[in-house]
Amino acid sequence: MGHGHNHIEVKQEQFVFSPKAKRFSIILMIVGLVFAGIGIFTLGGSDNSHAQKSSNVNHKTESLSAQPHSKHDQNSGTAVSQTKENHLIGEESHGNEPNEKFGPRMVFRPSEKPASTHIWANLLIVGYFFLMISLASVMWYTIQHVANAGWSVAIKRVPEAMMTFIPIGFIVLMIALYFGKDEIYHWVHYEHLGLKPGDAGYDKILAGKSGFLNSTMLFAFPTVLVSIYYLLMRKLRSLSVEEDTATKGDASFFKRSIRFSAAYTVLFGFTMSVLVWFVVMSVDAHWYSTIFGVYNFITHWVTSITIIAFIVAYLKKEGYLGVVSNEHMHDLGKFMFAFTVFWAYLWWSQYLLIWYAQIPEEMAYYQLRFEDYKFNFLLNFLVCFVIPFLGLLMRSAKRNRYVLGIVGSIMIVGHYHDVWLMVFPGIFGPGMQFGFLELGTFLLFAGIFIFWVFTALTKRGLIATNHPYIEESVNHDVGV
Amino acid sequence: MAIVDKKLTLRNRNKILVGVWEDEDNLLAAATALTAAGIHIHDIYTPYPVHGLDRIINARRSKLARIAFFCALIGLTLMTTMIWYMSVYDWPMNVGNKPLRFTPSWSPVMFEGTVLCTAFGMSFFFFWRNRLVHGIKNEILDIRQTDNRLVVAVETTSNMDEKAILTMMRKNGALELKSFHKGVQTILK
Repeated sequence: MGHGHNHIEVKQEQFVFSPKAKRFSIILMIVGLVFAGIGIFTLGGSDNSHAQKSSNVNHKTESLSAQPHSKHDQNSGTAVSQTKENHLIGEESHGNEPNEKFGPRMVFRPSEKPASTHIWANLLIVGYFFLMISLASVMWYTIQHVANAGWSVAIKRVPEAMMTFIPIGFIVLMIALYFGKDEIYHWVHYEHLGLKPGDAGYDKILAGKSGFLNSTMLFAFPTVLVSIYYLLMRKLRSLSVEEDTATKGDASFFKRSIRFSAAYTVLFGFTMSVLVWFVVMSVDAHWYSTIFGVYNFITHWVTSITIIAFIVAYLKKEGYLGVVSNEHMHDLGKFMFAFTVFWAYLWWSQYLLIWYAQIPEEMAYYQLRFEDYKFNFLLNFLVCFVIPFLGLLMRSAKRNRYVLGIVGSIMIVGHYHDVWLMVFPGIFGPGMQFGFLELGTFLLFAGIFIFWVFTALTKRGLIATNHPYIEESVNHDVGV
Repeated sequence: MAIVDKKLTLRNRNKILVGVWEDEDNLLAAATALTAAGIHIHDIYTPYPVHGLDRIINARRSKLARIAFFCALIGLTLMTTMIWYMSVYDWPMNVGNKPLRFTPSWSPVMFEGTVLCTAFGMSFFFFWRNRLVHGIKNEILDIRQTDNRLVVAVETTSNMDEKAILTMMRKNGALELKSFHKGVQTILK
């Protein structure tokens, strides 16, 4: 560490994607594929057991048919008898279930959903998760610019590499939306029915939302938004690499980066919620929460920072990033710790208000998650808040990359599980488990992510040697 | 920014050698040279933070974080007791038929109370430890240390070569040299 005004010539480094790391990412993909395969293979079996188990639980199928493609049967006799049958079961087992008086509740048995729904739903959350992580890494990058931060310049190539994953995440998300929208979103299915006021099964809430919540918008909004994010990301990346070969001390690239960063920060901050409403919140289309967009953002933001810390720690371990010291790791640890607390703040704000107000249409979301997914619900709070909070509280923990690694791994999987808990109960109703298929999909895409991001890291020098603040970053010191 | 040591009353100490600097690069060089010669620097008074200084003079980590933790515990206990007394014990309060026992609705009160006690406790201990309490007269080695001068204080011991220390300070760009003993200041140059 240099002190004061020591002028340091920062050496450029070139990252080489080592065969070992390559092997690791490919093994992750293979393990993920195998797990996903086991998951798909066991879908039928586990479904039956769920169905048996869930016969004890109240599954009130609404007048909408559970079978997505049986829209023509909707008004025929079979649907009516099905509804009656379910109604009887409901009366027998849980006549005093609070849902009875709270009115419509969209709940399906897992077995009533075809196996393909599981695949599309998994692709949906994995595509969404990695898309949002890449978008959040752009956000992190732009905030560093807007805030005129100097300390992070030495590690700015890491989020720069993570940004490149936006198209992959988006394509996966779009595939899941295109093929699975009828099975994932009950409002898409409702849209196909084309019911009029007065028809049996007419849903006033969904009809009222249909001006915004329809399949055209479902594709138009995310596509337009992500395209703009993508273009801004490309511009920021090219400005950064052009700066490397510019004349020494040329700050014009940095100044232009600030302008584009400000645009992205404002745009993403305001429009990201729309993406979240379409992709995640509309799974429970009757339900809404105004804090949901921010809550989703913070979930991916904290995960994104954790992954940045992971990659920096890996590069340090491999002997790269000579100018990055424990001081930078400490600041990344602070970021992780601070936003873990912020995550808990938002998680709790959403829960507390709904719990206190006890309005039926708001409670439906937590009713399902708290009654039928109690273990997952509490586990979520444990792995996303309690463990990171206690694990990263100490100063020495934030400065130790092994502690960061262990706590960070728990956080990443924990936040993926958080997204799973937002989406899956809404699609499948009670009785789902975070099983082989979920874990396999995650590992598969984690492998692809590592491969893609590390390849992007090799494309340019590892350190922004010509950045106006590189010296400040090298001399970064948070004190005793 | 004063880096605080255990005994703050300078008049109760041995004779103190005082060096005054204008430039922080020279100050850093002087502090490095003095520490390298095995001389313990009592404290350095600067009007703004000088990066790296705390490491050079081996300053200990502040204990304010521990005080914060204990203040937080006190605040949490206090507020939990308060809200339990108010809304369960003294006057059982029925809000929307929610249960009387520990409920999530207590958490904002508990959280805010914890934050309040931590903030006030930390401020109080910080001022107290730095002798910034009303009524206490501070011994300022050089009045310009709150303006634009950087002041180094070295406490002498019986086996210390004072001349050598003063020469070292002068060589590293000290503008003025003084000594401070039993509340009396002597200008040496």
